[in-house]
Amino acid sequence: MAARVLAALLALALAVSTAPARASNDEGDALYALRQRLSDPNGVLQSWDPTLVNPCTWFHVTCDQASRVVRLDLGNSNVSGSIGPELGRLVNLRYLELYRNNLDGEIPKELGNLKNLISLDLYANKLTGGIPKSLSKLDSLRFMRLNNNKLTGSIPREFAKLSNLKVIDLSNNDLCGTIPVDGPFSTFPLRSFENNSRLNGPELQGLVPYDFGC
Amino acid sequence: MGIKQSCSFTPCVLADLSLLFCILLAPVCLATSPAALLQVKSGLTDPEGVLSGWSLEADVCSWHGITCLPGEAGIVTGLNLSGYGLSGMIPPAISGLISIESIDLSSNSLTGPIPPELGVLENLRTLLLFSNSLTGTIPPELGLLKNLKVLRIGDNRLHGEIPPHLGNCSELETLGLAYCQLNGTIPAELGSLKQLQKLALDNNTLTGGIPEQLAGCVSLRFLSLADNMLQGNIPSFIGSFSDLQSLNLANNQFSGEIPAEIGSLSSLTYLNLLGNSLTGAIPAELNRLGQLQVLDLSMNNISGKVSISAAQLKNLKYLVLSGNLLDGAIPEDLCADDSSSLLENLFLAGNNLEGGIEALLSCGALQSIDVSNNSFTGVIPPGIDRLPGLVNLALHNNSFTGALQPQIGNLSNLEILSLFHNGLTGGIPQEIGRLQKLKLLFLYENQMSGTIPDELTNCTSLEEVDFFGNHFHGPIPERIGNLKNLAVLQLRQNDLSGPIPASLGECRSLQALALADNRLTGALPETFRQLAELSVVTLYNNSLEGPLPESLFQLKNLTVINFSHNRFAGSLVPLLGSTSLTVLALTDNSFSGVIPAVVARSRNMVRLQLGGNRLTGAIPAELGNLTRLSMLDLSLNNLSGDIPAELSNCVELTHLKLDGNNLTGTVPACLGSLRSLGELDLSWNALTGGIPPELGNCSGLLKLSLSDNHLTGSIPPEIGRLTSLNVLNLNKNSLTGAIPPALQQCNKLYELRLSENSLEGPIPPELGQLSELQVILDLSRNRLSGEIPASLGSLVKLERLNLSSNRLDGQIPSSLLQLTSLHGLNLSDNLLSGAVPAGLSSFPAAAFVGNELCGAPLLPCGPRSPARRLSGTEVVVIVAGIALVSAVVCVALLYTMLRVWSNWRAVSVSNSDGEESAHGGHGGGGGKWGDGKYWKVGSPVSWSAEQKHSSGSETASVLLHDKSTEAARAGKR
Repeated sequence: MAARVLAALLALALAVSTAPARASNDEGDALYALRQRLSDPNGVLQSWDPTLVNPCTWFHVTCDQASRVVRLDLGNSNVSGSIGPELGRLVNLRYLELYRNNLDGEIPKELGNLKNLISLDLYANKLTGGIPKSLSKLDSLRFMRLNNNKLTGSIPREFAKLSNLKVIDLSNNDLCGTIPVDGPFSTFPLRSFENNSRLNGPELQGLVPYDFGC
Repeated sequence: MGIKQSCSFTPCVLADLSLLFCILLAPVCLATSPAALLQVKSGLTDPEGVLSGWSLEADVCSWHGITCLPGEAGIVTGLNLSGYGLSGMIPPAISGLISIESIDLSSNSLTGPIPPELGVLENLRTLLLFSNSLTGTIPPELGLLKNLKVLRIGDNRLHGEIPPHLGNCSELETLGLAYCQLNGTIPAELGSLKQLQKLALDNNTLTGGIPEQLAGCVSLRFLSLADNMLQGNIPSFIGSFSDLQSLNLANNQFSGEIPAEIGSLSSLTYLNLLGNSLTGAIPAELNRLGQLQVLDLSMNNISGKVSISAAQLKNLKYLVLSGNLLDGAIPEDLCADDSSSLLENLFLAGNNLEGGIEALLSCGALQSIDVSNNSFTGVIPPGIDRLPGLVNLALHNNSFTGALQPQIGNLSNLEILSLFHNGLTGGIPQEIGRLQKLKLLFLYENQMSGTIPDELTNCTSLEEVDFFGNHFHGPIPERIGNLKNLAVLQLRQNDLSGPIPASLGECRSLQALALADNRLTGALPETFRQLAELSVVTLYNNSLEGPLPESLFQLKNLTVINFSHNRFAGSLVPLLGSTSLTVLALTDNSFSGVIPAVVARSRNMVRLQLGGNRLTGAIPAELGNLTRLSMLDLSLNNLSGDIPAELSNCVELTHLKLDGNNLTGTVPACLGSLRSLGELDLSWNALTGGIPPELGNCSGLLKLSLSDNHLTGSIPPEIGRLTSLNVLNLNKNSLTGAIPPALQQCNKLYELRLSENSLEGPIPPELGQLSELQVILDLSRNRLSGEIPASLGSLVKLERLNLSSNRLDGQIPSSLLQLTSLHGLNLSDNLLSGAVPAGLSSFPAAAFVGNELCGAPLLPCGPRSPARRLSGTEVVVIVAGIALVSAVVCVALLYTMLRVWSNWRAVSVSNSDGEESAHGGHGGGGGKWGDGKYWKVGSPVSWSAEQKHSSGSETASVLLHDKSTEAARAGKR
């Protein structure tokens, strides 16, 4: 019994003393959380060592001069799994390039926290669920390519606020409702929305609700 | 062998397998007891000489370890040689001790099997062979020992199954088979052992369930089946073992609920079910176990509330419920509020518990509290000093708030205080200095502030201090050196300022020092040389300065040094006394002098980062000895000389950054053997010669930058084999020849820069395959000729395209209009001609000047497009003219509109046809955006489509241009 008690005490001491002094870099932690989520048969995330001071020497991660993560390039990397909410903590991110993989699950609404994001490239994956309204908070966003996924639901009306949006591609999904016409949407070609069998064409304002038929 | 010899003069000679003869001839065998003992002796190695007195010259009953039957000389009943370091095998001759009742050979180093011949010793009551290194299986012959009461043969290397024959040892009271490698199931036959009181089968690899026949062991007091692979439910018949005092089923795979019947075990003092897969709630019946002292249900999947009342379990000292799915609050009545509680240790870590911990203050005997990794909230109660016996207090990974109260100083027995990762605010009370026994103080990842109190340096037992990630400001206490036992000091990421106190050198036990991410200033104190145990030291991101004390060279145990982003200067040598360095990171300081070759003595170096200093001299070839090196960053120094070919021996290199130096010579071809390389940056040097084709072998390369050198020759097509490449930058060299079409294979490129070289020939249309090009395609300032390939229109992600200052001719392909992501374009200073496609008119004129181009944003295309530049006056005249014409046109247009409106359909059709033929040379899509598009726009839908590609003022000028054209046509008409 004494041995058991001793073991319990030892376990406590061990638990306390081995608790890692977590790295200050929240960005590294967020990226490492992504690594934990993803299945990576090609080993493209092998260099992601969480014990380093920051993730700036990790492959496929680019930092600016102040060691803030500004690019994540995992396009065409044969990774699978879900994106997860942690990426929303990469508040300095400008380019999120996760295209042409086997990512599934939903687009996390937390990506709406990426205030500096210029490019959101999630095309050619297996993403499901709706397009989060929160992405309308991405004031800097110029390129949003979510095409060739399995996204459902309507195109959030709030996207009309994205005044910097230059390119949107939502084609080849399973979206429904109508296409907004306000703000940047007045300039987007129809091919950005094609092959969404339940999408009903440009919105007729005031006549039918935008998610008509959803 | 022994048996044969002892019986060689008896009729047993032919019966060496049948010991029964010897039993029949018992008197003879009894008489040979000394001889049997001597044979036992001869088989053993006896390092302590305890058997030296065993000789026929003395009475056998006087031999060490021998007990004889009182009164009757020569009848040996006991053999006790426990713990004498004996080795060798147990000789089968031991079976000659036919009168023996007790054998104890435990705690030696005996090897070999348990002799089956022991089965003949029918008088044997006690057989103790535990804690040896015996091998083989348990001989079934032991089942013949009808008088055996105690059999303890555990802690050996026995394997195989437990022989069911042991169920025949009907007198057995103690069966100890623990700590072996026994497998198979628990034999049901053990259920016949009605006298069995202690059954220890723990630490084997037994499988299957607990057989129901075991219910027959009605005398059990002690049952340990822990650390096996047993599964199934815990049988409820265990509740019928009315004498059971200790039940240990830990670390098996038992599932289902805890049977409520366990609550009937009124004698139970110890109950351990940890590490199974038990589910359901804690049965309330457990509260009936009035004798229980230890209750461990940790590491299961038990859910529901903490329904244990130490007020009822009056003898409970240890309550361990960690690692379950318990929720709710700690029950108010956990301990009766009458100071009668005996509860000393409470472990609730890793559940989903919430609320405050005030209820614990009633458990006055508590010594250890671990409620970490839950969702507890509220403050750490000031009344915590009602628990004066507290030694360990672990509240980390919860959501506690508020400040740490001065009463914490009353916990004079406290050794571990772990509060990290909560929401604590406020300062550290100075009363903390009264905790003379405190060894571990973990406050990291809270929101605490204020200064670190000087009184902390009175806690002279402190071994580990971690304040990482708070808001402490002010200086590090000057008397920190009082903490003579300090091994870990982690103050990273606070707002600490001032110098590193010289007294820190008195912390002679210090192994890890992390002061990074603060605002510390001043030099490193000379006293650091005394920190002989120091292994990890991280001071990055401070404002520390000056040369390092030379005496630091005495620190031989350093493994990790990170001084990056400070103002340290002078030589690196003081940091190179250790040959065990794995990380040396000194980026962005002002270190000067050469890179000493002794750095290569640390053969386990993984990261060597010396970038952004003032280092001079050559790169030492000895770096090639660092075969485990992964990161070599010597960028942004003043290094000169060649790139040593020896670097190709660093086969694990993933990053090689030598950019921003004065390196000369060629790019060593052998760098192509670095197969792990992901980043190779040799830019901003004075390298000459060609780009070695061997670089094409670095198949994992993601970034290749050779810009700003004097490289010559052509771009080797082997670069196309770098199919993982993201960034290729060969800017500012003297490269010649054509752009190799093989670059199309680098289809992950997002940045391609080849500008400021002397590249010639056409732009390979294959570049249009680089569909992920995004940041820039820069081919400017070369001698490229031919037309801009229409295929570049496929680069739909491209944001910047620079083809300026080449010799490109022909028209701008209308396919460039597909570059919807483009926001930077420069085609200036080429030989391009024709009209700027209208969709590109939103780019500034500077993007197109220096060509033969016309149309917005340049001047409109007239019948004879003016090749020469127009003077300001001319521009004014032209603009005024256009304005005048426009006004006329507007009027004419209104008139025309009225006319046209009536026969709209006919006009529209005829104009369409005309445009198609007139602009046929532009290709399919080109005509749409050509000069006459205003009239070609036949419906409101395509009108809005045009707007999509032009905006604001540009649209107006396009319109102006188009209307004037139409005016001319209208005039003709």
